[in-house]
Amino acid sequence: MDIFLQQMVNGLTIGSLYALVALGYTMVYGVMRLINFAHGDLVAFSAFIGLSVYAQIFGESVTSLVAVITVFVFTAAIVAFVGVLLERLAYRPLRTAPRLSAVVSALGAGLVIQNSVMLIWGPNMKIFPSNLFPSTIWEIGGIVITFTQVMILGVSSLLMVGLYFFIHQTKIGTAIRAVAIDQDAAKLMGINVNRIIMIIFIIGSSLGAVAGLFIGTYYRGITFDMGWMYGLNAFVAAIMGGIGNIPGAMLGGLLLGLFNAMITGYISTQWAETFTFVLLIGILVLRPTGILGETVAEKV
Amino acid sequence: MMNKTSLIAIALLVFMGFFPLFVDSAWLAVGTTFLVFAVVALSQDIILGRAGVFHMGHALFFGLGAYTTAILNVNFGLPILATWVPAVLVPMLVAFIMVAPIIHLRGDYLLVATIGFNIIFIQVLENDVFGLTGGPNGLFGIDVVRVLGYDFSSQTHMYYMAFILLGITLFIMRNLDKSKFGRAMFYIHKDEIAAQSMGINVRYFKLYAFILGAGIAGAAGSMFSVQYSAVSPEAFNVTQSIMFFTIVLVGGSASLPGVLIGTFIMFVLPEMFREFETARYLVFGIAMILTMILRPRGIWPVRFGNIPDFLKKGVK
Repeated sequence: MDIFLQQMVNGLTIGSLYALVALGYTMVYGVMRLINFAHGDLVAFSAFIGLSVYAQIFGESVTSLVAVITVFVFTAAIVAFVGVLLERLAYRPLRTAPRLSAVVSALGAGLVIQNSVMLIWGPNMKIFPSNLFPSTIWEIGGIVITFTQVMILGVSSLLMVGLYFFIHQTKIGTAIRAVAIDQDAAKLMGINVNRIIMIIFIIGSSLGAVAGLFIGTYYRGITFDMGWMYGLNAFVAAIMGGIGNIPGAMLGGLLLGLFNAMITGYISTQWAETFTFVLLIGILVLRPTGILGETVAEKV
Repeated sequence: MMNKTSLIAIALLVFMGFFPLFVDSAWLAVGTTFLVFAVVALSQDIILGRAGVFHMGHALFFGLGAYTTAILNVNFGLPILATWVPAVLVPMLVAFIMVAPIIHLRGDYLLVATIGFNIIFIQVLENDVFGLTGGPNGLFGIDVVRVLGYDFSSQTHMYYMAFILLGITLFIMRNLDKSKFGRAMFYIHKDEIAAQSMGINVRYFKLYAFILGAGIAGAAGSMFSVQYSAVSPEAFNVTQSIMFFTIVLVGGSASLPGVLIGTFIMFVLPEMFREFETARYLVFGIAMILTMILRPRGIWPVRFGNIPDFLKKGVK
């Protein structure tokens, strides 16, 4: 029972990281029908940016709330800028091109980001500073919860709830949903589609940046090519939930995190990915559009 | 137009035929691998370019062919010649079992499912199921092709075997274009719903494309394992699948010269720039983006030959 609860906590932690990254995939897909393969590499990139921002401003030793918030805000801003740049340079020229051309462009963009990270920070693993968060540990009935885990769960839930209300309650959120349903109709209603897509990339990249920083603080070791693995898991989460669906991405992320933790806790780590994809394919066989995905009739 | 293309094709075939006479062994090996990869890329093109099924796990079938030959030869001592048929049939069978339940999925879902199958395949190889696959190191010491006491063991032999395989593949694709199957796939690619309402069994033809593509990739895999006399999991991982996927789209999907150009650019050019190891993939990524922006339909886009000119306007 202890293992179960412990793996539950670990699973929810990883799951909320997946969910944050999955939101970036699902929002871009919802509006542009594009699998943004560069998103995972952007997440890895943000972990490295965070490392440098921290070293540059605070010089490795300072721990304070101000320092942590500064690192997160700076990193999110830089990564959001890169995300917008990515859309301008690699995706916008291909908006009317065949869909798979944009996918190749996204794969190319991923290669560019990943190898830029390698050239800037080197091919070896970098270690994230341990003192970003206090190393407090709580033991509740045999299960261990770290401060970092509480932060991850707290901040990502806040962000997700915030995003949900942003999408459903604000004017811009309504515009985003309108563009997702029909770009041309949205344009006719006076919505600036380019601006909405820019906002999508700002939000998606910032959430990815937060996830990247949390991956750094949680796992400590970061490598230039780790983005592929996190990106793939997050993308699977988005597909499980029903791609294009925002609550679906959150649900898919948490579900996949829990499932992964249970598999690694009870069965084996060697077969973790196999189980992930068996689950995915199982869900797709039963529900071809994901758990919360709607069946949309194809327009002729 | 037709004549010019055939002329280029003949010139290329003659050049490829005499290629081993001019080059050293390192470049001969690159040439052989180019031929093998071209076959895999063409078989990917049957699925992705012609039937229009989003498929990003093609290294799985390539690897299945390679491992079938390797396992039958190393573990069971069968001669290479006897492994050729299973190396084609096993990938076909696996493709059928794997894809039949999910062939109706929407494009992007299928894309991720095929990536998933590729990853499962790699984990099966690495975890050495039934002690057959040799784990992460793979299998070594694969035999050479022997026919009636003759050994076809040199690099030049390998080159010409791959050359013949490419010839057979091109012949199959050429026939495919002119057959009922090829036309059906073309219509499905252009407009699935319209094709369905014309009475084309979309599911059947997509599966057909998948199984045919898997079989050809399996044959190429068998050749690949004999060429290197070893197989290991990382030669067939998702990165390889992404490469085959990109080759087709960069070159021009459903276009024979396009796919060959794509293979050259994605495989032979990086071999030439080996010295620039570190920045190579950065430049590569930029080139991928630029190619797609400048030529969204690939470097050598397809022209479908059997449509009268007055109908072509609408067909992109």
